[in-house]
Amino acid sequence: MSRCRDGIRTVLRRALKVPWRFNRRWWVRRTCVCSVCQVPVLEGKSVQQTVDMLHRQLEQLGAMKQGSFWVDCETYHTTGTASGQPSKLLYVMHNSEAPLSCTALFEGGPCLMADGNFDVLMVKLKSHFQNAKGHKVESRGARYRYCDFLVKLGTVTMNSSARGISVEVEYCACVVPGDCWNLIKEFIQSFLGPNVPELPSVFATKAEGLFVPADAVDTMTQYLELFGKVRKQQVLQGASVR
Amino acid sequence: MADIVNVGMNLDAFSQAINAIQALRSSVTRVFDSLKDGMKNKETLEVREKGFISEFQDNLQAVNRDVNELERLSTLVGRPSESHPLHNSGLLSLDPVQDKTPLYSQLLQAYKWSNKLQFHAGLASSLLNQQSLKRSANQMGASAKRRPKVQPSTLVLPPQYVDDVISRIGRMFPEMTIELFRPNGTSAVLLVTLGKVLKAIVVMRSLFIDRTIVRGFHEDVYSEDGKLDIWSKSNYQVFQKVTDHATTALLHYQLPQMPDVVVRSFMTWLRSYIKLFQTPCQRCGKFLQEGLPPTWRDFRTLEAFHDTCRQ
Ligand SMILES: [Zn+2]
Repeated sequence: MSRCRDGIRTVLRRALKVPWRFNRRWWVRRTCVCSVCQVPVLEGKSVQQTVDMLHRQLEQLGAMKQGSFWVDCETYHTTGTASGQPSKLLYVMHNSEAPLSCTALFEGGPCLMADGNFDVLMVKLKSHFQNAKGHKVESRGARYRYCDFLVKLGTVTMNSSARGISVEVEYCACVVPGDCWNLIKEFIQSFLGPNVPELPSVFATKAEGLFVPADAVDTMTQYLELFGKVRKQQVLQGASVR
Repeated sequence: MADIVNVGMNLDAFSQAINAIQALRSSVTRVFDSLKDGMKNKETLEVREKGFISEFQDNLQAVNRDVNELERLSTLVGRPSESHPLHNSGLLSLDPVQDKTPLYSQLLQAYKWSNKLQFHAGLASSLLNQQSLKRSANQMGASAKRRPKVQPSTLVLPPQYVDDVISRIGRMFPEMTIELFRPNGTSAVLLVTLGKVLKAIVVMRSLFIDRTIVRGFHEDVYSEDGKLDIWSKSNYQVFQKVTDHATTALLHYQLPQMPDVVVRSFMTWLRSYIKLFQTPCQRCGKFLQEGLPPTWRDFRTLEAFHDTCRQ
């Protein structure tokens, strides 16, 4: 049994010329349980002030700062649909956790993980997909580790102005999202207070999100949902100001 | 036993006495028969009365003679001893037809077995009192001297037996898969996969668990050369904690006479981690304490507690 498994692994490793260490890390990365949610900005405070407060709260809890992170998202329209179909959106996202990869999500459709030079391909495809300039959203901030939790506290910016706050919490020891949701929820409560998000829809739809290569996509889907919410808020705020 | 032999020697007297009883019964019957029949039909009343009276006297004398005979024999037979070890049931041995009703020999056998049983039960209970389930409790005293005597016999169990015990335990717990390896000679190394929660490597010597290490379900259990990695600890604090507790459990579940029971108890305990991330602490009701879920499982009740909540 084990010999067979080893055999397959060795063959794969040789065929792909993948160093073992790398292979192992890749394996681990894919299988964490992760939840992304938006943190409301405190009343009478700016985004930056709220983020600073959250930093302090995390550090009080005993979380250790471990570098920084970023996630960004560019939006493309389909063009040249001769048959009069409504134009669809394509999102191309990057994540500092996988700096050599790129995730492409079709609105309500399929998604794919690609190499970083997918961006170059998009430039070549500009007769079909047009970059919606000024729609670039990104979240940047610090990474914290607390026991087996990984917390990424980011400021969401659109057109280089801060619009909201994102919190990504990863529980690295567990591979089944449904199993540890209560645990993650309690952890988020410990530094965010009672306004904890509901179970992310990607969790609910597949209880056994195990070893499915879509796990990294799940995180990106959650960021995309969050960016969508932030964008909508801005539209509403803009309307009320007018 | 002496009484039984004695009784056997008097068997002749017994049979004579029984004959005497039969004779007495028939003579008594004869008395009442003649009384019932009344006077016989003779020519004169005088002759009739005489004949009846003489017959009655003869019959009574016969009864008297038989009674005397029985009394004489009864002194020969003697009283059955009351100090018989089986009391009145000892009289069963007097039954002459042994082949048809071997009650007495069966009774003796049963008696012997129950004696033996009591003796061994006594020994076992004194042993068990010394060697309770805790290894730490019998570090000193007489039991410590006894242990080396016991261990060597259980250390040389045939591998086939170990395989059988392990596969039987594996069948008991459907959510647990147990793979058995023998990387170095006869000692077995078990790879236990519990649901989608954890993997435990259990190093055995014969049926004794020597060492255990617990890692996450998605962590590698093989080292870079493709062998089972029994040394490096988990990258996650949860599983490092669980490893510590599992080592404590190994020290807790100890029963040198029955190593298979120990392995089964340990596996039952390990199985309670199936809901490691889903069970709140039974004391504080929370999921997290210092960033860790309840990693302790009570050895008896298998309830989940945080390490700090378990006292
Ligand atoms: Zn507790």
